[in-house]
Amino acid sequence: MLVDAPYIPPSVFGLEEKTSPEPEKSGPALGRRLATLALRGGSLAVFAGVLVFFSIAAPFFLTVGNIGNVLGQSAIAGVLAIGLTIVVIAGGSNVVTGGIDLSLAANMGLSAAVYATLAQAGQGDAVAILGALGTGLAIGAVNAAAVTLAGIVPLLATLAVMNVVAGLELVLTQNTVVPASGEFLSTLSASGPFGVPVLAYVLLGFTLVVAAIVQYTPLGLRLYAVGEYPDAARAAGLPVRSFVAGSFLASGLCGGFAGILSVSYLSGSTTGAGEMLLPVVVTALLGVVFSRRLVPTITGTLLSALFVGFLINGFQLLNISSTLVSGVQGLLILLVVSATTLLCREAV
Amino acid sequence: MVDAVENGGDAILHFDGVVKRFGGAAALSGASLTVRRGTVHGLVGQNGAGKSTLIKLLAGLHRADEGTIEIDGKAYERLTPHLAEALGIHFIHQDRLLVPTFTVGETLFLGREPRIAGTPFLDRAAMRRKAAEMLDRYFGLQLPASALIADLSAAEKQIVQITRALIANPKVLVFDEPTAALVRREADLLFRLIRRLSEEGITILYISHYLGEIVDLCDTVTVLRNGRDVATLPITETSAAKIGALMVNRAIGELYPKPQVTPGETLLQVENLALTDRYDEVSFTLRRGEVLGFTGLVGSGAKEVVRTLFGLDRPTGGTVSVKGEAVFATDPAKATAKRLALVPEDRRRDGVALDLAVTENTTLASLGRFSRGLIDRGAERRQTEDLVKRLQIKTDGIDALVRTLSGGNQQKVAIAKWLSRQSEIYLLDEPTVGVDIAAKVEIYRLIGELAERGAGILVLSSDIEELLGITDRVLVFFRGRVTREFISSETSPDQVLTDVTGAHETLRHAG
Repeated sequence: MLVDAPYIPPSVFGLEEKTSPEPEKSGPALGRRLATLALRGGSLAVFAGVLVFFSIAAPFFLTVGNIGNVLGQSAIAGVLAIGLTIVVIAGGSNVVTGGIDLSLAANMGLSAAVYATLAQAGQGDAVAILGALGTGLAIGAVNAAAVTLAGIVPLLATLAVMNVVAGLELVLTQNTVVPASGEFLSTLSASGPFGVPVLAYVLLGFTLVVAAIVQYTPLGLRLYAVGEYPDAARAAGLPVRSFVAGSFLASGLCGGFAGILSVSYLSGSTTGAGEMLLPVVVTALLGVVFSRRLVPTITGTLLSALFVGFLINGFQLLNISSTLVSGVQGLLILLVVSATTLLCREAV
Repeated sequence: MVDAVENGGDAILHFDGVVKRFGGAAALSGASLTVRRGTVHGLVGQNGAGKSTLIKLLAGLHRADEGTIEIDGKAYERLTPHLAEALGIHFIHQDRLLVPTFTVGETLFLGREPRIAGTPFLDRAAMRRKAAEMLDRYFGLQLPASALIADLSAAEKQIVQITRALIANPKVLVFDEPTAALVRREADLLFRLIRRLSEEGITILYISHYLGEIVDLCDTVTVLRNGRDVATLPITETSAAKIGALMVNRAIGELYPKPQVTPGETLLQVENLALTDRYDEVSFTLRRGEVLGFTGLVGSGAKEVVRTLFGLDRPTGGTVSVKGEAVFATDPAKATAKRLALVPEDRRRDGVALDLAVTENTTLASLGRFSRGLIDRGAERRQTEDLVKRLQIKTDGIDALVRTLSGGNQQKVAIAKWLSRQSEIYLLDEPTVGVDIAAKVEIYRLIGELAERGAGILVLSSDIEELLGITDRVLVFFRGRVTREFISSETSPDQVLTDVTGAHETLRHAG
């Protein structure tokens, strides 16, 4: 059977014994690398440019206090985006067929509601924490089952789960605010060393731990192989489905964790967690441009969480309407997705 | 073969009477194969002879329905990919299974990563260093440590894949069409390496369409045909031509009903057509009533020329004229307007709409004829009923979904679509792949009928017997060029096969 395989003429290769390939002969690869550099360098330049612009326009912008604020305010979205990043790594970064977890924001909402409800019922911090994390993990398990056992595309599976979870939250809270307080929550929402919020340290610590696992262990490397090219992972003897299922469990757990953070930040569970979805997706997708190989990374996601955080913060300092922010976020999604899609197409 | 084992030959792989059925069709119907330790064993056969199925059984990707597979003298009922690897059997797959965004080091050690002593963390420095060492030792190849797989050439990717297999200390290396994407010089490098690995005691199972390579490289060759092994020969007692003759079955000449048609005016004239990196200097004419065959291996350019003619790729040089008028079909809509018709290879994906009825499929390309704003269902049905009768399409009526038809009848619907459009130049890409023998004969008859009605037909097929049976002339493509033209009635399959597989390649390369 004739199938499409490129015919490659002799002139394309510069390969001979005892010589290394000359870079100028690999034209497409070079072009791709240049485009990668441009995209990555360009986005870092935009990041720096935004920082410079805001620090000139609003002198308070680049103070330790404000940076700490931004970090603290970004903690919840950051943790969720890191969870989403794990799913994207293991499922592949194709926006339609690859890994995505749309249920994360709703997960956070339900986990927060569970925490607040348990706390109101007089349960201790430990029970409430376990309740929230367990809720997140259970949602992750449902996603994992829907994707790996039922074989539903993650985009649809997690969309359905998102609706179910949002419904459960309404049932649990009767669509009202459930206040919660306690020693543990006050510690989380307080200020730590240097007047920087504890949540900021939580975000940095969380990123450090997850980044160590994903970027520096064999487990992480295999996670990338599974997502980028499942056939290659299978040929290397890796259990692809277990990895994908594991990534949903991990992101579910992140949702539960973010739920706890949001209870402490808002002193209770509030409605409208779903609005968090767009910023989280922006953050995870945008993170790709902060990595050398244009793949999702944990540190890239942190950088992009801070970028989005600084953007919102700068707008607030300049008294620009916050309604503009979600427009800018939508625009960022379009830009990043089209840039990376174009780049991938060229690489094929 | 049993003799060879009893004569002291030490069998490392032994397949005995292996049967594998997919659905109703048997891909292997009692194949046996014995590979002796330390030899380079060639495995050849036409498409569909069962080579890939045999290899997938060995890799543990499929399980045999009957027969036994012995590795190192021990029979294995349930071979899994993991077990095969643990037994020291490694595969260099045709499609290189490598992660494009990984570095060479990460690729080589994926699944058995070195760690920094006493920590759970990857030892990236060690991965880089060992990768560089191995590539240099086996191939004399120096790649930058940061090079990503996506930046490598096809040959370099293959080298990385072989190196990956070597890290695991393999006993048996299976190469599946390793040179399909390599140029001669790289192939030579690969052959030298294979000989060296063989000297180091690794057993090689080598699958290739290129008979010249088999003769150069292997100690023994096994020929598969129709799911059985028809011969196993020491290479010293055979030749590329003899192997070719064994691969084709010459007993079914009467399968091909070919009407004698006197060719009329020139329908299609192609001169010096070229597409960079795909094919070059392709010239031919197609006249009314003529059936022209194209054949070649994957990447030979034959398929790409057909795609270009239908406007799917834009050529970088040359001219195409239809009935004396120069055209540049830049998209399929323009091609169909010139009465060109393409019946693609993957009919279930590209040829028919599986979930539409026979009627809708038949008139899909010619709806303009059946509508003035609204579709004239009556006219549509009359046309379809006429074509169903003419092509003898077996269906539960014209409202049946195409999905419910057999492969051969789906193919007829794909052709009916263009008949309804009153096309004159038919480009048929592997028209009989995956259809049973009776349906094949009906498709052959249909092709003959089209020719009698004054159409020009271009058939692309890798089944050489079929091609010679149904065409007037056959053009052989090899590495992007037309290397030979045969008059079908005066040619035997093995003559064509010699050119298709490049058994004469060495001569041309010397020039």
